[in-house]
Amino acid sequence: MSNIVCANVDKNYGAINVIKDFNLEVADREFIVFLGPSGCGKSTLLRMVAGLEEISGGDVMIGGTRVNDLEPRDRGVAMVFQNYALYPHMTIYDNIAFGLKRMKVPKVEIDQRIRAVSATLGLDAYLERKPTELSGGQQQRVAIARAMIKTPKVFLFDEPLSNLDAKLRNHMRIEIARLHQKLQTTTIYVTHDQLEAMTLADRIVLMKGGAIEQVGTPAEIYERPRTLFVAGFIGTPNMNFLDVTAHSDGESWRLEGDGFRFRASRQVFDLRDGQDLTLGVRPSALVSCPDVVGTENLLSGAIDLVEFHGDDALVTFHAAGREIGALVPAATAPTPGTQVAFSVNSESLHVFDRTGLSMRRQSRGDCIQGTVC
Amino acid sequence: MKNKTTLPWVFLTPAMVVLAVLALVPTVCAIVISFEDRELSRPDGNFVGFDNYLALFSDRRFVNAITVSLSWEVITVGFTMLIAVGLGILLFECVSPRTRNILAVLFIVPVILPRVSAAFVWKFAFHPLYGIATYPYKAITGQPLDLLSNPLTALGTVALVDVWQWGLFFSVIVLKLLETLPPQPFEAARLDHARAWEVYAYVALPMLKAPLISLAFVKMIESLRAFDLIYVMTRGGPGISTETLDMYAFSQGFIESGRISYASGMAVLMMIATSIAFTVIWKRAKI
Repeated sequence: MSNIVCANVDKNYGAINVIKDFNLEVADREFIVFLGPSGCGKSTLLRMVAGLEEISGGDVMIGGTRVNDLEPRDRGVAMVFQNYALYPHMTIYDNIAFGLKRMKVPKVEIDQRIRAVSATLGLDAYLERKPTELSGGQQQRVAIARAMIKTPKVFLFDEPLSNLDAKLRNHMRIEIARLHQKLQTTTIYVTHDQLEAMTLADRIVLMKGGAIEQVGTPAEIYERPRTLFVAGFIGTPNMNFLDVTAHSDGESWRLEGDGFRFRASRQVFDLRDGQDLTLGVRPSALVSCPDVVGTENLLSGAIDLVEFHGDDALVTFHAAGREIGALVPAATAPTPGTQVAFSVNSESLHVFDRTGLSMRRQSRGDCIQGTVC
Repeated sequence: MKNKTTLPWVFLTPAMVVLAVLALVPTVCAIVISFEDRELSRPDGNFVGFDNYLALFSDRRFVNAITVSLSWEVITVGFTMLIAVGLGILLFECVSPRTRNILAVLFIVPVILPRVSAAFVWKFAFHPLYGIATYPYKAITGQPLDLLSNPLTALGTVALVDVWQWGLFFSVIVLKLLETLPPQPFEAARLDHARAWEVYAYVALPMLKAPLISLAFVKMIESLRAFDLIYVMTRGGPGISTETLDMYAFSQGFIESGRISYASGMAVLMMIATSIAFTVIWKRAKI
């Protein structure tokens, strides 16, 4: 069990800088998820912690020890790869035993530990088989067993569920969550799947272009996105964005757009009179209101498309020249062509300036990159 | 429908005829001749049964030739594979991809060189007075060094040329094989407390088991055909110390006594022995 500290970490490939001044503290026993689009540097960062990529600048500390110049085997980390990376010529037993054999652990103890780990992960029946004779989910379980058996200080997962089908992915996600609950090993988990991130993480590190966009608990990131990018990346269906201009109006702000008007609290948002802004509204925050009363906090238009999602339906309509999505109960979903109006509660508004930063008062200043909130 | 079934035969027949004339006829002839007492000096021959074969087993020079042939196989195949794997790993581990490609081209040159040319080049290099390979020894000790005339070193010296030709070439193949392997198992092994040599010994080479066995097999067959190399460099000498089976058969049949039936007997035995040996090895290796 150990904490991990990344201080001013840089990574360059020649002249190309892929990680810029990365700072993060991962507490002991914490489950951290690196989330971001492809190419944001999350895997590179994980591999730097593992020792598979060289660190161009800054320090990585595991359990208080600087590990920059340590071999991967000396860092006390175990990693699970996206494509399992099992040794294809060895049986499952030998795959799991490989690390312990290299550590010169006595044979009897290796055997005991393998029995225990394979019982935990339900691999008893497969120990004598070769990796190719196992399904993807079973292979990934072997990879987890191989990582677990070394009782590492840190677990590293590099998109471990990406190669599995949707059903199996759900199942394995729950297994990983359960395993962490039991072992309480400090974990860094890389994924581009926001559902995995939201469900597994103690804290999410949302990355873009080699830098941190926001660090926070899944709820913080969902409810108070610090930037426009975070707001757009997290949440399905995607958040709706509208261009507005702020006007001071007594006790509150009036946010005027092309044919609509919103009212936002002065206590919540720190705006300037006449400032150009981007307004964000989640599809789930749009509430259908059949009787149009007044014109404030209201979006209306003709339904363009209805997508059935199960309990809900996503209806798309055009308002203010933008495509707006709204989630409505599937049973009461309107048909395409119908005129609809949706009201929005002032509390569920997100406002960003033109640089993409949230204008919410309490979210500015807290959650500075990398520090524990 | 009929056309469809006869068409393959139209294409196959010429090739089969050529193959039959070039391979089958001499083989059958050799078997027939080995049961006669033909000599190059006489036009006729009589059927003598297994006399030639029986004589072979009491021929000490034949037994020597078997020993030399076996040593030749073991030395050339063994060292070629050692050099190939060692050098291949070294290239993979220590050399940048760009330099690798340049070295790969250089390493293929020896094997492109015709065997006879390579043999002559190295024969000059090992010349006791003017050879570049023996020059340092001569410069230091003042004594000439004649490796090819020493019964103890002759076979090893000729084998060196063979390994130089094939070991370097095979190292390029091993390098390319290593490059095709997925990197993740290596990375997993490095995280699994494996040292660099353990990564290769326990992960990389076992993953390449099948192609490496095939390479060794190709080299075994290739080593059997080293006649030209030995012929140019030592002609089986000094004495009979580098006289392999094919060398001895050739000298019995064409150089010394013209005993063509005796030589054919040897050739037929070689054919049977190698067919059996290679079938057994191949079956074993596959399992």
